[in-house]
Amino acid sequence: MEADKNEKNPWMCGRCQRALVLEKVKVRYLEGNFEVELYKCPQCSQVFISEELALGKMLEVEKGLEDK
Amino acid sequence: MVSDQYETESLCPVCLKKIPAFILTENDVAYMYKICPDHGRSTSVLWRSKIPISSWIRNKERAFIKNPVTSVKQGCPFDCGLCEEHRQHTCTALLEVTQNCNLNCRFCFADSHPAKEKEPSLEDLRKQYQTVFKVSGSCNIQLSGGEPTVRDDLPDIVRMGTELGFSFIQLNTNGIRIADEEDYVRRLKQSGLSSVFLQFDGISDEIYKKLRGRPLFEKKVKAIENCRKFGIGVVLVPTLVPGVNTGQIGEIIRFAIDQAPAVRGVHFQPVSYFGRMPHAPSDEDRITLPEVMEEVTKQTGGMVSAQSMKPPGCENSLCSFHGNYIIEGNVLNPVTKRESCCCGTTQAEEGAKKAKAFVARNWTGHDCETGEQQKVSSDWDMILQKIQRNSFSISAMAFQDAWNVNLERIKDCCIHVVTGDLRLIPFCMYHLTNTEGRSLYRNLEKGSLYEADAVRTMDP
Repeated sequence: MEADKNEKNPWMCGRCQRALVLEKVKVRYLEGNFEVELYKCPQCSQVFISEELALGKMLEVEKGLEDK
Repeated sequence: MVSDQYETESLCPVCLKKIPAFILTENDVAYMYKICPDHGRSTSVLWRSKIPISSWIRNKERAFIKNPVTSVKQGCPFDCGLCEEHRQHTCTALLEVTQNCNLNCRFCFADSHPAKEKEPSLEDLRKQYQTVFKVSGSCNIQLSGGEPTVRDDLPDIVRMGTELGFSFIQLNTNGIRIADEEDYVRRLKQSGLSSVFLQFDGISDEIYKKLRGRPLFEKKVKAIENCRKFGIGVVLVPTLVPGVNTGQIGEIIRFAIDQAPAVRGVHFQPVSYFGRMPHAPSDEDRITLPEVMEEVTKQTGGMVSAQSMKPPGCENSLCSFHGNYIIEGNVLNPVTKRESCCCGTTQAEEGAKKAKAFVARNWTGHDCETGEQQKVSSDWDMILQKIQRNSFSISAMAFQDAWNVNLERIKDCCIHVVTGDLRLIPFCMYHLTNTEGRSLYRNLEKGSLYEADAVRTMDP
């Protein structure tokens, strides 16, 4: 999923009932650390990763870092 | 004080008969001890480190060769082909396209020389490719020798491999012709060459004069430049010889980082004593794998941490180490981390799949080096581009010779050399020579020690 800042965010945090906001989030796979923009709850910091992202670009990154 | 010991099988360095061997650790040094009833005792250092050899070992559930070429008659290592008892698939198959060379190195696995020997025909090589495909499927291919670039038809050999379904073809070369003939490099790229495994022993000519008989550093730089021009990935391959170039480990890594992304990594090969070598080895003539790791850490000022280097998942644990990194500025940030726990068992077959994919992905050149810009539309695209361009690997493989060969490691080998009679021989068994320079499998026509037996084990 490519997040679009101009698009109205349709997602709410199930726990806090706050609208998610796009923010830079630190992600880590194996020992690799990166910063990416993801939807995040402003209260509890839980992030939302869509199925499309998880099985798309995110999986590509994981495969790119995969060890032998 | 003996802190650890186990038993395995080895060969007598004189007669190459199979004999029991004991691996004993005394004061942080593991040695192999063995006695041949005919030729007496032999001792060789295997591992010098505070990291115990036992902590490096990873248990794997063996793989089964689906289409073995030979059947078991005399037992390992006299039935190679691969036989049905071999425990790992082919990760990389080596095709020796020539025995001729344009150098005459002091150390040479292949004992190659400038004299003109008959080379395998394109039809011979087609059969070799087809044998690899039948036994091992679409594994990675390395074209080796001799010096493969002495052949004018090398681009045709590369093309044949790609047309037969091999997607990763690497050239093992001293780089001289790669440096001298840009058009030859262009034709290799157009034929589908992915990667160059470049003999690269250091960054000073003194080292090349000692090991290769002539100054070659400028040639190496030019060879890298030509590979960069055509988007062929380069892996620098130093043969580490104590007293010659072990002090340049850090400088080689820094040079490689400067040359990235054309250079994709450094693959160290601690010297082994087979093929052509100046003399039988003493323990001081060897640098063991953990010592290479310690020097990598020390000579990079700690930039490459000891914890970032791991045992392999494909070949036997005692055969190699590797670490994967992302270059940020001039610094290597680790992607890998060695687990402190070595418990549990992994699948050898899974390890072979991962190793093949890793090599094909990380050692290939990329079109971005030829000026094509990729579309970057999100943070994830930027990360992907960074991984593609800035991935870097540091690895080493310790080959085995007649003094330190451990047959458990041979059974787990994933690098196989294709012979003229269409067998696949584990790399070290193929190259291993006794004290008189005679082998079990190489140069059979010149009179192998076990020629008759080896031929007898062949299936029709």
